[in-house]
Order: sequence, then C-alpha cells, then structure tokens
Amino acid sequence: MTKSNAAGPRDIFFVSNSVNELGGITSWSHQMARLFVEQGHRVHVVGIVPPPEGRVHELAADLPYETTTLYDVHPPSVRPVRGLKDKLNLVEQRRRTAREAGMHEQAAKMSALFRAARPGGIVIVTQVWAMEWVALADTAGLAVIGMSHESFETCRRSSRFARVKRFYQDVDRMLPLTREDADQWIRQRMDNVGFMPNPLPFFPDVPSDRSRKVVASIGRLHEEKGVDLLLEAWAKVASQHPDWTLRIYGSGEEADALRKQAAELGVTNSVEWMGRTSDVAGALRESAVFALSSRGEGFPLAPMEAMATAVPCVAFDVAPGVREIITDGTDGFLAPPGNVTEFARHLDALMSDKELRDTMGEAARENIQRFSTDEIVGRWEALFALVER
Amino acid sequence: MPDVSVVVIVYNDADRLPTAVQSVLDQTLRDVEVVIVDDCSTDRSFDVAQQLAATHPERVRAFQLPENSGAGGEPRNVGIQHTRGQYVMFLDSDDVLEHNACRNMLEAAEETDSDIVSGLCVRLHKDTRNQKRDEWYSWLYSTTRTLDSVTELPDLFVWDTLSTNKCYRRDFLIENDLRFPKGMFYEDLMFIADAYLAAERITLIPNQVYFWHVHEQAAVKSVTNRRHEMTNYIHRLEVHRRIDALLEQRGLTGMKLAKDVKFLKHDLVLHLRDLPFRDDAYRQEFAELSREYLAGIAPEAYERVLPIQAICAYLLQKGDWDNLIPAVDTLINRDKVSSPLAEHDGRIYWCDGHFDDAFGRQVLDVTDIGYHEKPVNQLFLRNQITRFSEAGNAVSLAGRITNPLGVIPEGAKLKAELEFSARRRSLQSFTFPVQTVRHDGDAIAWETTADITAQLRPLGIVDTIWDVRLSLDVNGARTTTRLTVSDTELAGGPLPVRPRLTRMVADHIEPHASSKGHLAFRLISESRNAERVQELIAKGVRGKPGTLAKNGFRKAKALRKTLTSGDSKLRAYHEVFSRLPIKKRTVVFESHLGKQYSDSPRAIYEEMRRQGLEFEAIWSYAGSPKDFPKDATLVKRWSLQYLKALAQAEFWVDNQSYPLKLTKRPETTYIQTWHGSALKNMGFDQPSLKAQTRQQQAEQQESLDRFDRFLCRTEHDARTLAKAFRLKEKTLLRVGYPRNDVLVKARQREAELGRRERGALAAELGIPADKTVLLYAPTFRKAGGRHGRFALPFDVERFADEFGDRYVLLVRSHYLNHVVLPPTVQGRVIDVSARHDISPILELADGLVTDYSSVMFDYALLDRPLMFFTYDYDEYVHEGRGTYFDLLEHAPGPVVRTEEDFFETMQSFETQQLEYAKDRKEFVAKFGEYDRGDAAQSIVDQFFAQWSR
Repeated sequence: MTKSNAAGPRDIFFVSNSVNELGGITSWSHQMARLFVEQGHRVHVVGIVPPPEGRVHELAADLPYETTTLYDVHPPSVRPVRGLKDKLNLVEQRRRTAREAGMHEQAAKMSALFRAARPGGIVIVTQVWAMEWVALADTAGLAVIGMSHESFETCRRSSRFARVKRFYQDVDRMLPLTREDADQWIRQRMDNVGFMPNPLPFFPDVPSDRSRKVVASIGRLHEEKGVDLLLEAWAKVASQHPDWTLRIYGSGEEADALRKQAAELGVTNSVEWMGRTSDVAGALRESAVFALSSRGEGFPLAPMEAMATAVPCVAFDVAPGVREIITDGTDGFLAPPGNVTEFARHLDALMSDKELRDTMGEAARENIQRFSTDEIVGRWEALFALVER
Repeated sequence: MPDVSVVVIVYNDADRLPTAVQSVLDQTLRDVEVVIVDDCSTDRSFDVAQQLAATHPERVRAFQLPENSGAGGEPRNVGIQHTRGQYVMFLDSDDVLEHNACRNMLEAAEETDSDIVSGLCVRLHKDTRNQKRDEWYSWLYSTTRTLDSVTELPDLFVWDTLSTNKCYRRDFLIENDLRFPKGMFYEDLMFIADAYLAAERITLIPNQVYFWHVHEQAAVKSVTNRRHEMTNYIHRLEVHRRIDALLEQRGLTGMKLAKDVKFLKHDLVLHLRDLPFRDDAYRQEFAELSREYLAGIAPEAYERVLPIQAICAYLLQKGDWDNLIPAVDTLINRDKVSSPLAEHDGRIYWCDGHFDDAFGRQVLDVTDIGYHEKPVNQLFLRNQITRFSEAGNAVSLAGRITNPLGVIPEGAKLKAELEFSARRRSLQSFTFPVQTVRHDGDAIAWETTADITAQLRPLGIVDTIWDVRLSLDVNGARTTTRLTVSDTELAGGPLPVRPRLTRMVADHIEPHASSKGHLAFRLISESRNAERVQELIAKGVRGKPGTLAKNGFRKAKALRKTLTSGDSKLRAYHEVFSRLPIKKRTVVFESHLGKQYSDSPRAIYEEMRRQGLEFEAIWSYAGSPKDFPKDATLVKRWSLQYLKALAQAEFWVDNQSYPLKLTKRPETTYIQTWHGSALKNMGFDQPSLKAQTRQQQAEQQESLDRFDRFLCRTEHDARTLAKAFRLKEKTLLRVGYPRNDVLVKARQREAELGRRERGALAAELGIPADKTVLLYAPTFRKAGGRHGRFALPFDVERFADEFGDRYVLLVRSHYLNHVVLPPTVQGRVIDVSARHDISPILELADGLVTDYSSVMFDYALLDRPLMFFTYDYDEYVHEGRGTYFDLLEHAPGPVVRTEEDFFETMQSFETQQLEYAKDRKEFVAKFGEYDRGDAAQSIVDQFFAQWSR
C-alpha cells in the first residue's frame, strides 16, 4: 500500500496543544502520524503542555514515532491587557513577563528539534494556540502548515478567530477542513489557504445489512451534540414505527436531563441508553440508520464511520464538513439546522423503506471512500510537494 | 521548465519596474521566471530591465520592441513568444502580484487541468490616505469554481475583461494562436473574449492575485481630451462589434444577451454621463455612432437593466434630446426625478410621447417605481439652472424645478431658500431667501440674487468646497433640490470672500459643476504668495501640532459617538433611570415596535379613556408621531425620554416586544397582548432558535420572561405560543384580544339588525354602497420583484378589469412590505397598508383573501367568506420554519395555489358565504373561543379599575 515517494522520506513534526488530550485532534494526529510512518517518513509528535486532569487519552505503548511534551506544568495564563488599569497591575505584569520568558525557553527546545531535521521537513501545527510557540521557534528550512480543525463559522464565533488570522497569516499553507471553509478564510484575506479533509478512521470488512430496526446516535451527551433535538424528532416518528429502537451511545453531563426529556415526550420505551462504547464498529454494524443531530461540527468522524459501514445518515446541515461528507438525497439526508420536522421526515423516509436504506447505504459505503486513508495521504504528499516548489 | 512565466510589460516607467519584478521574484512559488518586454521606452526603462536581468540571470530576461507600439497588446504578444514556463501570466510595470498568486494559480490549474485560472484583482488607490481598495467584480470570485465552458457563467465573459488577473496554460495560448490585437485601445477585451471562448476549462479562485495600482489623474477636460473620448468610444464599439461577430459565429445568443445587458448598464453609461457637459456637435456625433450599434441590441436586454438605463438608451436611439439630457441627470443621481412624467391610459410614463411605439411604451413605463404615490417631500426633484450671472459681489441665479405629475399643485403656497453648506459635514451653512418662486408651465420657476461676498463667511482652511441646495416649501411640506448645471455657462469668474480664519490661503470663491453635475463653489486664492502659505499650512497640518489637533478632534468625535451609542443608552437605563422611583398610574403603550397606533394596546388604551380613568398614558412611536393620540405623552422609541418612561412605568402594554436588552423592574407589570394566533412555528419552536446553543437560548428567554401576563384568544395559543415562549401557566390570561372586540360586536350587531352596516371608513375611502369590499392581506415576505418590492402574486389590472364592476379590492401588505398600484386600478383597488389599525378594515371587508397571516383567525370572528391564496405553500411549509397545523385541512374557505385558480374561485366568492359556514364555525370554536367581545373591559377591570378616582 505504500506509494512510491518521489521526494524521499521527510521529517514531519506535529505540534498540538497536548500529545495525549482526549478528543478528536489527538486521535487524528496519531492516525496521521502512523500513516506517515508507513510512508517512510520520520515523525515526531510535539505537545506544548500536558493534558488537563481527567482528559488523558491513553496512548499505545509502542508508538513507532517519538513524542515530546514541552512544559511539565501548564504555564500561567494571562488576560489580554486592556486600558491603564491592566498596565499598572504589577502582579499581572510579572506573570506576563514570566510567561513570555517561559515561552521563549520552550520554543528554543522546539528549535533544537527542528534544526535536526533534514531539508524538506514539515511542521504541521494542528491548533492555533500551539502556533504561538512555533512562531517563536526557528523554522528555517522547514515548511510550516497551520490547521483549523473546525468550521469557519465555529471559529469565527470564538476567540480563536483573531488569533488564526494573526498567527497563520504567514505560514506556508493554512488548512481548514473543506473547500467551502477555505473559500471563507480566503475572503478574510488569507491568501495562503488550501484545505485538507480528515481521513476515514476505519473501513470495516463487514458492513451493516440494515435489517436490524435500529437508529443509532454516537457522541458525547453534551448540548452541542443536539441529542435533545434528536429526541424531539424521534417523538414525531416513533409511534408510527413501534418496532424500531433509537440507540443512543455516549455519556456526559446531559444524561439525566435527556432521560427526563424522553419521558416527557413519551418515548422512553423506544429509546435505549447504551452508554459509552469502545466498539463503534460493532454498534454501527447493528444499526440501519445513523442520526447526527449536532448543533455544530467540523468534519465529523461518526457519520464517516457510519457510511463506511454502509449505514445511511440523517444530519442537520450545520457545517460545510457535514455537506462534504453527506450528499443530500443520494447517500443520506440533510435537514436545515434545528428543523426537527424535516429531520423526522427524513428519518421516517429511511425507516419506512428498506430499499431506500439499501440504496443509500451502499452508495454511502462507496462514496465515503474518497476520504480513504490512501486518498488523504496522497493529498498530503501533493501538498508537501507543492510547498517545496 | 519553469512553472510560471510572468510577462512584465513596461513603457517609460523605469522607477516602478523593479517593484513589479520583485513581486514576482518574491513569490512563494519558487520556480517562476520573468520576461520583461519594453515597448521602446524613451526613458531608462530598458536599462533598468537589463540590470534586473543581469542581477538575476537565471530568472529574468529583458527584451525590447524595435519601435513603440502604442498599447499593451504587442509587447505581451512578444512576451508570450519568449516564455518558457508551463503557465503564463501578465503584469504591468506599475502593478504587483500578490505574494502567493503563482502558487495558488498553479495549484488550481494542475488540480483541475484548466486552460485559464482567474483570481481576484484588487484596485488600490495609492493616493488616498488608507490606500482605499476596491475589488474587481468580487461577486464572481466569492467561491472557488470550475467551468467547463465560459457559457456556464456569461457574467464572467462580459464583466471580467482583464487579461492580467489570470494564469494561462502556455500551450493553450500557442495552440489557439491567442494574441492581442495591434494598435487598438481595449486590447484586453478582444484577447480575453477569444481566450474565454477557446478555453475548455476555466477555474475561478477567490484569492487576491493582482494589485492594480490606481493613481489619481488630474481631470482636465480639454478639447483634445474630448476628441480622445470620442476615439475611445469608436474603438470600444469596434471591439464590441468584433466580439458580437464571434458570438454570432458560435451561435451563443445567451452570451450575446448578457453582453447587451452589460453594454446598456456599463459601456453606454460611462459615455452618457458626460453628455450634459458636451456641445451639440459632440452630442450629434455620439448619437450617430450609438444609434447604429443600439439597433443590434436585443430588446430583452432592456428588461434586464435599471429602468433609467433602458430609458436613456431608448431616448438616445430616438434622438429625443429634450428628454434625454434630463434623463441622464437621473442616470447620475439615481433617486432624482428629472422628468415631468406623463400619465397615459392609467399608467405612468417617463415622458410624454413615443406612445405610438409599443416598445417605447414598455421601456418608458415607470408605474412600478411608484413616483405617483409619493408626496412632494419624498421626491428629489431636478432643478436646472437657467441663468447664472454675477453682478458686483452677488450671484444672480434662476432655475426651473421639475413638477412631475403636477405634484406641486397650482395655487400651492410656495416658499424657497438657497443654502450654501461646506461639503465637510456639520461645519457651517448660510441661507439666502429666494425672491420669486412660481408656477411656469409644467415647472416651478425661481430666481434670486445672493450677496455672497457680504454674507458667506467660510473658515478658510478646512471648508474648501461649498455645495448649494434649494429647499422648496410647498404648503408646509419641504423638498430639497440640488442645482443642476447643464447648458448654462457659469459666467463671471471668482467672487471675493472673507474667510474667518485667514485670507492668506483663499480670498475668492469660484463656481463649478460637481461630478454629479451640481453647482458647487471652490475657495481659491488670487493673491501671489498663497501657494507658499498653503505649503506652510500643509506642513503644519502634517507636523506635530497638526497631528495633535487632528487626534484631539478624532477623539472628541469618538467620544460623542460613544455617548450617544446604544450601549450608553442601555447604561443610562439600567444605572440611572431604573434607580428613580416608579411613577404610579403610568402606562407605556407600544404597538409593533412603535410603528403603529393600533392593535390591542390601542383598544385597551381607548377603553381606559372611555372609562375616564385617571392615569398618565405614554405612547411610543418610531418614525413620525403623526396619527398617534394627542391626549397621550408621545416618546420616540429608543430616545432617552422613552427609556426613562419605561424605567419608571407602573405598566407596560405592548403587542410585540420592547427592546430586548431592557431589563424590566419587578415593580412594573408587563401585559403582553401579542398580535395574533400562530399558524407558523414561533419562538423556540422555530428551527433557527432550536439550532442555537443553550446560552444563546437563555439570552432570548430572558427577554420573554419579562412578560407578566400574556393574552390568549384560544387554547390553541396556550398550546403553541405559550409553549414556544416557555411561559408559565400563571402568566396566561384567557380573555381574548381587545382589538377583536369590535369584530365580535359587529357580528352581533349584524345578527340583530339582519344586515351589515358600513362605518365611516367606507365613505373615507370613497367606496360606493353597491360594491362588495374584499381585502387582500398577505403575510410578510422577503422583498422580491423588479424593484426590490413585494410584488402581488396576481395581476391587479386584470382583477380590476374582471371584477372592478362588482368589487373593490383593498390591499394591505405586511407593515414591513410595500406595494405599488398603477393608476389604472384607481377606485377599484385601494392600498390601505399605511393605515395604522387593521380592525376597522376587517370590519369593512365583506370577504378576505389571505395566505398564512394570523388575520385569518381574527377575520373568522365576523363569519364572512375567506379565501386562501397559498401560491408558495410547499416552500413555506418545508423550507421555511414549518406550521403548527395543516392549513389545507383546517382552512375555513377554499385554498388556491395558482393565479388562474385565484381568478376562477373569485367568481364564486359570494356563494362561499353559505358553502363554508360550518367550517368557519368550527374554525372559530377551535381557534378563537375566548374572543367574546369584552376583552378590553375585562383587562381594565382586572388591572386598572382602581384608577377611576
């Protein structure tokens, strides 16, 4: 499966907030690191700080690449200076100075790693916060790639927006997740923007046959995942499909509120609370329809996994990444954000019609392969070549 | 082979050439070469080019044409011959490429295998303070897209005619023998048309690729320049003809139409704008040239441009100079009415005449613009100067003001004054009375003498330009005009003035025509050392004291802005007004955000007055206080008085919402009457609110939690609105809507009397007793239509023709929409949108046509026929926010979807009275059971009765 690599092996650095913080970015960077190692590259995963307590992602013991965490403890956090009062606040001032000195010290460690790299090396900064250290480091001879793993809109509503525009202004390439996000960034007058979709996390040999009458949802039980909206939509279809079950995988702070809501909607009997699962592939194989009810997304992995398992999805059209993954009416359905009536209508369509499920499910499994690891690695290699030209 | 070759052309531009070349050498894409072609410059350009080549032997080469070619085309042709790269780009010596341009172009080209990649060109105005930028047809470049043929995007073909913001596959240029035409202006237009049509794939990218540096040029309007303008026009037409031939050859009629549209919108307008300032000979030659070309323009093109653009083209072709020159005034000043207009067969036309030509009638018909519905104070009228002379130190002026459709009636009391004001805002202004102003034929003639030297006192440094306006008072209504200079010489030269600050920089004032064709004056100096003083002052302004003064001024302005901003007002409300004591017996009323004196707040208010309660009534208004009650205190919405009144009120009575961010004090009782039962999803049942995060929802909820009482007119409200707003059960007040009391009473009276009585409104609207009154009241729609207005979904003229003998149709658009009715339907179709209160209109109407508006619930109380014209039902229900119930199932009257069905069903309107009687009864029982005619009284009893003494 390893492709011939014209430019030869490279030194590739991933720089993230943390090497092993629970969440999508960690899974993604270690997946990519493995893929690059398989390509023959030398990979080094760098984290700025240790992950916060309780948010540790256990890494495998035998990683085929090195990892480094710069800080032993999290550096002091500071507020931006506003007005005279802040300028005169000596305690705050001292913290700031200490932080800056610390940043230079840690950046120097990174510079040492970078200097050891062979020509043609690449630094991939996965989060803009980490870029503040990379900007201080010596990256001469290396190409720096800055990434934004969320939709443009989500970023725009956050404090990261201004920092992305500032710190990624001069990187060799800045990569959001989709063409549509890229175009939006370009219109912010960032003319160094390309885009890079996430790779498919897995591709099961055995897909679902979509005969189990189960609608599945997988994700943290957090308001952002919109399980409350899914329950509302479910209440509109459940009575017409008494033999169907909604399986909700995941845990989180909303668990109790959601159970209460299910009871109020009178759907307790048709909803199964499955808790967190480590066997996503198995859960998907046993379902016939996948529901993505999130209020916000970047380039979500769950529907990609569902599609790889030949399970058609119904999703709210909340981000370019969602539109990119699901082709409405072909391999799944999209509903306008928050429109639970339309969401329910789409669920109903798939639940009522096995043939439609089969057609869309098979189409999904076929179509999602445009994000196969081979495809995505190929895109990365092309990008490495481009920034070197 | 280099990835990209950039052909840099230069002619007598030695100083700027290195910057242009450097922008290529500094590209993020490394393998880029430069081919400089010098068009036989007479300065050091070629030396500089050769030096650059010597400094970068691997990357820069320089060539020179044996003799000057006069335009950019030939040097580029030669350049192409010398390129070696896979792709070719063009750059002019005074412009630069964006840093990543080559990399972005190359990536797009290779990914899509395109022959042409085109990116955003940005014009940078180098002489402005902050380098003002404007993006060249940026709407074409909002997203990345690939075209398999330029015919997919005709707008690209007709609008973006630059050759420089593009990257061409070199083989594509060679194989198709694409070359710039020799010795002609607009060489880009021809080249790019050829290239677009030859390309098998074109990719557009939103990235900036090319910075076009614009340097202000002194606008010298000499005769040679005019000659030059005409040559320009001749060349422009020639290129257009050649491109038309190309399109015809290929049978691309759609593209030709798009190009015709562009010609009318853009090319012709550029030259028309100058016509008022040109002499007769020029005008004749121009018309001669244009007529021939205009004859080939597709008639459909006239429908796709602004009415005034079509009108000008038509009048030009007809050689109707008397009407054309004023029309050009409107072309330059869009809002201006520069023609007396003409009414003919119930339609409004731009000018009298051409009625025998069907096409002319179509082009000149301006009924839909709605000029005929506007009062004089909403019109911007043309005011042409007919005499300008100087007598001593005074200016003597006369002019004529257009009087469209006689909007200024004979016998009106007329008064006018001239106002001179500094163009830099809010400095100072001087007014002069106008001595005579009177009707003169179809215009208003005026004349006056203004003693400028004695009375106009500029400051002298900051107010160089002075604009002149004439404001005309017609029976108390004021309209402001600008003085148009056209065919009248501004004779006499500069007049002496005495600036207040210093006479060293300026001591005279000189008349001129502004770029919009209006009279203005410029301060100048006649003394010899003025230039030196000017220089000194400029130095001071740029120096330290100047900077200090300017910063101080800016800071003061910023401070004023913050003090009057919404945030400061909110602070005043919360931190000052809300600490004052509550004023007992005060009620602040508001209806529809202050836009109306209407609805349930009005009904409650009137009931309180009827009972003679003792209290202070405060009504909020937005816009004008006209038609609001005179016996109440009126406060403008968002004014400080308004905020103070709200902060201290004992009661708030409103039907929609007070400003969301105002916290209600616990001592204040908020009676939310609401303004209609719901068919479509409301509040948190709307998808857009469901999609919000919890925090955003909580902010919304806060404003809804201010309601202490919420009126319901049916259990349906409790199930829908109250739930959607997440209101507590105890806030619900099931008493019905006070605004509907009159409807219930009307129904009762009708039953008692056995017949329907018509109130005063029928007479006021001039409706004959034998006509049946129908009301068309659709819900709010985003404005569409030719003029960005809400367009009626049926032909009103057809309605008037078919039913005008039996029916009078009242049209009431949503208060945020606006309709225009042609005079043809006068008396048969009446616009009642401007009336504040809908209840008397409902009471008057013998039948209602609506779509999804909540007016259906109220009107049903009258037990009269209803008809539903839901032409966009599917879109409304599925793509919009959805509905609480299926209208098709519950509608108490026929539901029609098409215009034909609408007219068809209209035939049987009367018989529906009986046919749908049962459905109406059920509808009222289901959606209006609490409306019993005593809502206002029961609310007053419950909350205000103790104020009777």
